[in-house]
Amino acid sequence: MSMLLEVSGVSVTFDGFRAINNLSINFAEAELRAIIGPNGAGKTTFMDIVTGKTKPDEGTVIWGERNISLLGMSESKIATEGIGRKFQKPTVFEAQTVRQNLAMALKNPRSPFDVLMHKKTKHNAERIEAIADNIGLLDNLTRVAGELSHGQKQWLEIGMLLAQEPRLLLVDEPAAGMTVEEREKTTDILKEAAKTRAVVVVEHDMEFVRRLDCKVTVLHEGSVLAEGSLDHVTSNQTVIDVYLGRGHA
Amino acid sequence: MLRIFLLALAMCLMTPAMVTAQSLQSLLQTHAEEVLKPGRRTVGVVLDDLVDSGLPQALPFLEAWRDRAIVQRTSDGLFFRAEETGDEVALFDLDSGEAVATVPEDDVTESRPNGGVRRAIGDALVQFQLSDPDIERRRAAVEAIARSMDASQLAPLQASIEGEPDTDLQQIKTRLAGMLGAQFSETTEDRIAAIEALSGDLSVDVRAVLNRILSTDTGVASAVPEDANIAAILIPGVDLTEAEAYDQLVAAELAPPLITAAYIRAELEANIEGAFVGGQPVAKLNTDANREIAYDALADAGIVPPRVTPTQQSEALDAHVFFVSYAEPDTAITDAARSALDAIETRVGFSQAADLGLDALSLASIYFLAAIGLAITFGVMGVINMAHGEFIMMGAYTGFVVQQFVPDYTLSILIALPLAFAITFGAGVAMERLVIRHLYHRPLETLLATFGISIALQQLAKNIFGTQARPLTSPEWLDGAWVLNDVIAISYIRIAIFVLALIFLALILFVLKRTRLGLEVRAVTQNPGMAASMGINPDRINMLTFGFGSGIAGIAGVAIGLYAKVTSEMGADYIVQSFMTVVVGGVGNVWGTLAGASLIGFLQKGIEWLNPSNTLAAQTYMILFIILFIQFRPKGIVALKGRAAAD
Amino acid sequence: MRRSFLIENPSVMWFLAGLGLFTVVVTLMSEVTGVGLISTSFVKTLGKTLCLCLIAIAMDVVWGYCGILSLGHFAFFGIGGYAIGMWLMYARTEIVVLESLSGQAIPPTSQEISDAIGNQIFGVVGSSEFPLIWAFADSLFLQLVMVILIPGLLALVFGWLAFRSRVTGVYLSILTQAMTLALSLYLFQNDSGLRGNNGLSGLQNIPGYEGVSQATISIIFFIASAIALGAGYVFFAWVVSGKMGSVIKGIRDNEARVRFLGYHVESYKLFIFTITAVVSGIAGALYYPQAGIINPGEIAPIASIYLAVWVAIGGRGRLYGAVIGAAFVSLVSSWFTGGGAPNVDLGFYTIQWTDWWLIVLGLSFVAVTLFFPKGIGGLFDYLVRKPS
Repeated sequence: MSMLLEVSGVSVTFDGFRAINNLSINFAEAELRAIIGPNGAGKTTFMDIVTGKTKPDEGTVIWGERNISLLGMSESKIATEGIGRKFQKPTVFEAQTVRQNLAMALKNPRSPFDVLMHKKTKHNAERIEAIADNIGLLDNLTRVAGELSHGQKQWLEIGMLLAQEPRLLLVDEPAAGMTVEEREKTTDILKEAAKTRAVVVVEHDMEFVRRLDCKVTVLHEGSVLAEGSLDHVTSNQTVIDVYLGRGHA
Repeated sequence: MLRIFLLALAMCLMTPAMVTAQSLQSLLQTHAEEVLKPGRRTVGVVLDDLVDSGLPQALPFLEAWRDRAIVQRTSDGLFFRAEETGDEVALFDLDSGEAVATVPEDDVTESRPNGGVRRAIGDALVQFQLSDPDIERRRAAVEAIARSMDASQLAPLQASIEGEPDTDLQQIKTRLAGMLGAQFSETTEDRIAAIEALSGDLSVDVRAVLNRILSTDTGVASAVPEDANIAAILIPGVDLTEAEAYDQLVAAELAPPLITAAYIRAELEANIEGAFVGGQPVAKLNTDANREIAYDALADAGIVPPRVTPTQQSEALDAHVFFVSYAEPDTAITDAARSALDAIETRVGFSQAADLGLDALSLASIYFLAAIGLAITFGVMGVINMAHGEFIMMGAYTGFVVQQFVPDYTLSILIALPLAFAITFGAGVAMERLVIRHLYHRPLETLLATFGISIALQQLAKNIFGTQARPLTSPEWLDGAWVLNDVIAISYIRIAIFVLALIFLALILFVLKRTRLGLEVRAVTQNPGMAASMGINPDRINMLTFGFGSGIAGIAGVAIGLYAKVTSEMGADYIVQSFMTVVVGGVGNVWGTLAGASLIGFLQKGIEWLNPSNTLAAQTYMILFIILFIQFRPKGIVALKGRAAAD
Repeated sequence: MRRSFLIENPSVMWFLAGLGLFTVVVTLMSEVTGVGLISTSFVKTLGKTLCLCLIAIAMDVVWGYCGILSLGHFAFFGIGGYAIGMWLMYARTEIVVLESLSGQAIPPTSQEISDAIGNQIFGVVGSSEFPLIWAFADSLFLQLVMVILIPGLLALVFGWLAFRSRVTGVYLSILTQAMTLALSLYLFQNDSGLRGNNGLSGLQNIPGYEGVSQATISIIFFIASAIALGAGYVFFAWVVSGKMGSVIKGIRDNEARVRFLGYHVESYKLFIFTITAVVSGIAGALYYPQAGIINPGEIAPIASIYLAVWVAIGGRGRLYGAVIGAAFVSLVSSWFTGGGAPNVDLGFYTIQWTDWWLIVLGLSFVAVTLFFPKGIGGLFDYLVRKPS
C-alpha cells in the first residue's frame, strides 16, 4: 500500500537539545492514527516539521503519489498541498463570524487576486452550511467566533480544517478542556473525517484515544517507541516504564 | 697710533661690565677695510671673528649690516649704525646701542654689502641666533627655519647641533637638519641619506618636505624631453580626458583654441546683417547645426577664426606627448623620496586605520550606552519605548541643571550621574505603572503611546529650557586628548565615555547574572507564567526593569551631553540609531547589544571615511545596510534559537 | 456586483453622501461663486485635509485591517508630491525661461533652454545640470505615471525584502521608520537631485493656467481631492469587505493560522502594503500643489508617526474612523498651532497653545490608546447600534 506521508530519519536540534531523533513514521490514506507520548517527546515538533514551521537538520519528508519532498516548502504551500493542522489552543479568528471563518478556510484559489475578485456563490454557501452542520454550528453561522464556547471553537477549528479538504489532518489535543459530551461529538467528527482522509491525533488523554479505537504510535525522546493497537502498546514494558517513570498511568 | 687712540675711546664708551671684554668696535676696526667694502671672499674672515667673539651686540650689528645701515664716520673711521633723518643721519654706538651724534650725510661712508655678502651675513645671523644663550631665542630661530626652509640654513643649523645644551632642542634641530638636508645637501649621496633617514617620521612637515622634493609639473611637447626627470607619461583619453589634454595644448600655444558654442553665439550676434548672419536667417539659428553653418560662412569670409574640427583636435593630440616631470632633475633623489614617502604613507595609513578604529570604538560605546537601556526593556518586556530618547534628554538636562547650582565641574558631574539615574528611573517607573502596564500584549500600541509621551516630553523640555542648545561643561581634566603619534589622537572625553560604557557593561552583566533581581528578570523574560507561579511578582520585576533601563538612559544622557550639545531634540537624534543597535544586535541579550553597537559604530565611521564630505550620505547608506542586514539575520547578530525564539 | 456591494455597506453610501454634500457646500460658499464665506486659503486647508484623509484611509487599511504598523507611508505621500512637483516646477520654469530668452538677438537652442532651466532650478544647490531623475520632468503624463510607479515600486521592493524575512510587529515598524529616515536624509543632501533642503517650491502655480485665479485653482483641487477621497474610500471599502478583508484581518489577528490555512501571507501583506503606498502617493500628488512647497522635512519619520496617531484617534479598523481622525486632529492642530486658540491666563502662568498644544496632543494620544482603543469612531458603535 502506498503511503500518503513518509517521514524517515528526521532529526532536529534546538541549542543542543535533540527534540527529534532519527524519527521515521508513515501514514496511509484514509487512516486514523493517534500519537501519544510524555511531555517533550517531540509530538508538537513533529507537527512543526511536517507543516513547514521548523526545518529539520536531516532526514526526508515525502508526500503523496508524486513523492514530493515537503522540506523547503513554505507553510502555505504545504497547506495547499493538502495538509491541515489544528493547534493545541483553539485558534479561530475571533473578530470574524463563523461563516467568515469557514469561508476563509474553504478550498478555493488562494492567490491575492483570486481572493480580491472572489464572489459569493450558492455552491460555496452550501459547502459552508454542510460543514457547519457536520460540526454542529449551523445555527451559529452569523455569530462572531469570539463569542463561542471553548468546545465550539474547537469544533469550528476542526470545521475549518475540513473546509480546506486536506488529505492529511494533523490534530493537536482536540479534546483538551472539553466536557464529556463534547468529547464524544469530537470523536465522532474525527472518525467520520478519517473515512476519506488520513487523520493524525496527538493526545494525552488515554480515554479519548481508546474511544478513537485506532492504531497508536508512542513517541519518546524524539523517536518511535512502540506502534500498534492501544492494548498492544499499553502492555509494552518500555512504554509502561516511560509513562510510569513520569507519573502517568 | 690710531688704534691706541681708538682703543682708549672705546674704553671710555664701554660699560664697566665690559671692561675686560673685547669691544665690537675694536673688532670691527681690525677688519675696517673688509667691513666697509665687503666682498664675497673677504667677508668670511669678519664673520668668523664675530661668531668666535661671542659678543651679544654682534647680532644687532649683523642685522644692521645686512640691512645696509652700517656707516663709517669719515672723521675718525669708527663704525656706527645709522638712521637717516632727512639730509642728516643719526649715529648709534654699536656696543651700547645709544645715540651718539647726528651728522650730515656727507660725513659718513655707507657700507654696501652686495647680495652674496648679505646672504653670508644672514647665514651668520642664523648661526648667532641658533647659538644664542637664551633658549627661547634659539627655539624661535629653529621655528623660523622650519617655517621657511632655505638652503643657506643647512650649514649653520648643522654647526649649531653639537653645541646645543638642551637635548630636546637638539633633537628638534637634528630633525630639522635632516629635513633641510633632504632638500638642500650638496651631494646626491647626502640628500639620499637624509631622505632615507626621514622615512620613519610620520609628521605632516616631513611629508610636506618629501612632497616638495617630489613636486611635479605637467608638460606637453612634441617629444619627451631628454633632460627632464619624467614621473609619468599621460595618455589622452586614459589618464586625462581629451578635452583636458587639448586645453593643455592650447595653454602651451601648441594648438589653436577651440571655438566654443558661446563664442559662436557671440560672434553671430555681433555679425547680424538685417535678418541674416552668414547667409542664414536669424530665426533659423535655434539649433547648433544651423549656427555652425552660419559661423563657417563667416569663417570662410575671414571675419572669424575657423572652427577646430575633431580631426584636427585628435591630430594635435597625437602629435604631442603629455607628461608629468619632477622639478628635481636627479632620478636617484626622486626615487628615494618616492620610496620614503610610500613607506611613510603606508604607516600613516595604518595609523589612520587605528585612529578610525578608536573613533569607531568611542562611537560604539555611545551607541551602547544609548541603546542598552532600550535593549533591556525590549528584551525583558517586549516593549518598545519610543520615549527612550527623551529619557536620554532628561539625563542631559539634569546634568545641565546641576551645573547651574554646583559650579565645580568635577563635583557636578559626580552629582549629576546618580541624580540623572534617579530621575529617569523614577520617570521610567511612573511610565510603566501608568501606561505600559495597561498595554502588555499590545506592543504596537505601546509603541504609539510611548511616542505620545515622547512628543509631550520633548515639547515640555522646549517650554522649560527653550530651543537653544545648553552647554554641559566637562571638568578640566577631561579636556584635551591623548596623543599617540602625529596621526592618532583621542580626546579624554571619548575615553571617559568608553570607560563608562565598560563599567555599565560590567554592571549590567553583574546585575543580570549575579543578583537575585537578575535571576528574577531572566525568569520573567523566559517564562512569565512559570516565574509568577514560583512566587516572583512579574509586575514588580517589569517595573524595576523598566526603571533600570530608563535610569541607564539618563546616565547615557549625561555622557552624551558632555560632548554634544544639550537640546530638547537630542533624544530624537539617538532613538533611531538605538533601535537599529538593538535590532541588529538581537533582542534580549547584552552581548547582542554590544555587538550591534560595535557594528553600527564601526560601520558609520567606515562609511564616513569612505565618503568624508557627506555625513548625511553616510547615514543613508548605513540605514540601507541595516535594512539589508536584517534580511539575512532577521533576529540580529546574537539570536536566540529554538522554541524560545519562535514567538 | 458594485450595487450589491454598496447596499451591503451602507456606511459607504452615508460617507459618499456626506462628502458630496460637504464638497457642494464648500464650493458654493467659496470665493469662486462670489459668496466668499470661505476664504481661498481655507479652501486650500480643507483640500489638503481631504488628501490627508485619503492617506489616513490607506494607513488604516495597512495598519487597522492588516496589522502592519507602517511608519513609512508618509514617505510615499512625499514621493508622490515630489513626482508631481518636478513637473510643476519644470514646466513653470520653462515658461519663465522661454520668456526671458525670447528677447535675445538669436533664438535659443534647445540645449540653451534646458541649461537655463537647469540653472534656474538647481542654482540654489550650486549646480545647473539636470540629474537623471528629472529625465521625464517635461512630461506631465510621465510624471503622473511616476506618482503611481515610484511609491508602488519602492513599497514592492521594500515590502518584499521585509516580509519574506518574516519581519513583523515592532521590528517592521522600526524598519519602515528607518526606510523613511534614510529617504529623508537622502533628500536633504544637495546632490540628491531634488534641491536638498530647499525642496520644490512654487507648486501652487499651475503651468499653462497663469491667468486663472488661485481661488478657482483652489476649488478645482478641492473638488479633485474630494473625488479622490471618495474613490479611495469606495475602493478600500471594497477591498476590506468580503473575503480579502477576512484574510487580511486574519493576518492581523493570527498570521500563523492564516498561513496554515494555505494562504501565502507575504503576498497579501505585499499587496496591501503596495496598493496603500500607491494611494498615499496619489494623495501626496494632490496635496502638495495645494501646499505650494515640499521639502525633505515633510518626509521625516515623525510625519508618518503622526499619521498613525490620526488613525488611532479616529479609530482603527473602520475607514470612516481614519477620515474622522485625520480631519479632526489635523484641523484642530492647525487651529492650536496657528494661534487660533485663545491663550489661557492662569494668573501665575499664561498657557500659550503654540507651546502647549503638542503636550496636550501627546498626552491625549496616550489617553486614547489607554482608555478608548476604538478611538472617536468607537462612539458610532454606541450611536448607531445599541450595545448588545
